[in-house]
Amino acid sequence: MSVCPPYAPFFGFAGVASAMTLSTVGAAFGTAKAGIGIAGLGAFKPELIMKSLIPVVMAGIIAVYGLVVSVLISGGIKPGDYSLFSGFVHLGAGLACGMTGLAAGYAIGLVGDSCVRAYVREQKVFVGMVLILIFAEVLGLYGLIVALIMNTSAIGGDKCPSQ
Amino acid sequence: SGEAFNVGQFLEETSPYAWAGTGIGLCIGLSVLGAGWGILVTGSSILGGGVRSPRITTKNLISIIFCEVVAIYGVIIGIVYSAKLQHVPENLLYTPHNYYTGYAIFWGGITVGICNLLCGIAVGITGSTAAIADAADPNLFVKILIVEVFGSIMGLFGLIVGLLMVGAAGDFTAAASVSPHVL
Repeated sequence: MSVCPPYAPFFGFAGVASAMTLSTVGAAFGTAKAGIGIAGLGAFKPELIMKSLIPVVMAGIIAVYGLVVSVLISGGIKPGDYSLFSGFVHLGAGLACGMTGLAAGYAIGLVGDSCVRAYVREQKVFVGMVLILIFAEVLGLYGLIVALIMNTSAIGGDKCPSQ
Repeated sequence: SGEAFNVGQFLEETSPYAWAGTGIGLCIGLSVLGAGWGILVTGSSILGGGVRSPRITTKNLISIIFCEVVAIYGVIIGIVYSAKLQHVPENLLYTPHNYYTGYAIFWGGITVGICNLLCGIAVGITGSTAAIADAADPNLFVKILIVEVFGSIMGLFGLIVGLLMVGAAGDFTAAASVSPHVL
């Protein structure tokens, strides 16, 4: 059993894929669900559409979190010089960012949809909506932070014996 | 003898061509599935709304084009990945660099495919709501289109990550000499 087996990049790339795809699930759900609410709002009060685009923007930021983590992890996977330790740490980092992005995007979608529908009837709910959306967004940020910390620990991992 | 659960042995024994081929197939297949799904959701709403408001049918073709762009991303990545599939004889195939290329193309294909699938569905749903809003009030279309643009950037992110993953992966190259199974 070697420190740097040739199948270590399998797990590293699995981390990259899970960071990007799982956070895209959250972002896509958030965009679509909030977009339905915004179109419903637009039929009654078109002047409020611009302010109610906030849930869609925040769902897009979740996808950016996934992109950042994917780019950082895939920059550290080098052919021939990649330990199994780094592979598993990168897999964990990708899963951390992806799963939290999935949860955050799901929350943003549901909150955005119901809150913009309430915004049509009562304009004072706007501040409450933004506060709730920020709390939902910060879940994805926690995953990003943990993924970045794990990635830096993978950089200082085992060194491969020279080929 | 009994069963052996050895993940490392499985990953070393399967051919890198299997991983690469599966990745490319999933990339184009899932991207086209997302594009088709989005087009069916949007198209049915456009045609349904067009019964009472025929003016929406031409302007809302933009939503269909947004969905189709997702399939084109899949085609681009499929062509870029399959350029790396060079023939190598079986006894010279199992090198660390070929393993790396196989895994990179597999996971890159899955990333691009799933991101495009989700992007296509999201753009389809928002395009459908844009068509219905346009039928109600023509001024709404451009504003709801902003939501669709936010939806389509996800496919672009998948394309970027897919290209970065295989950035360091070279073509399949033969080993210098016949070597025993790589440790």
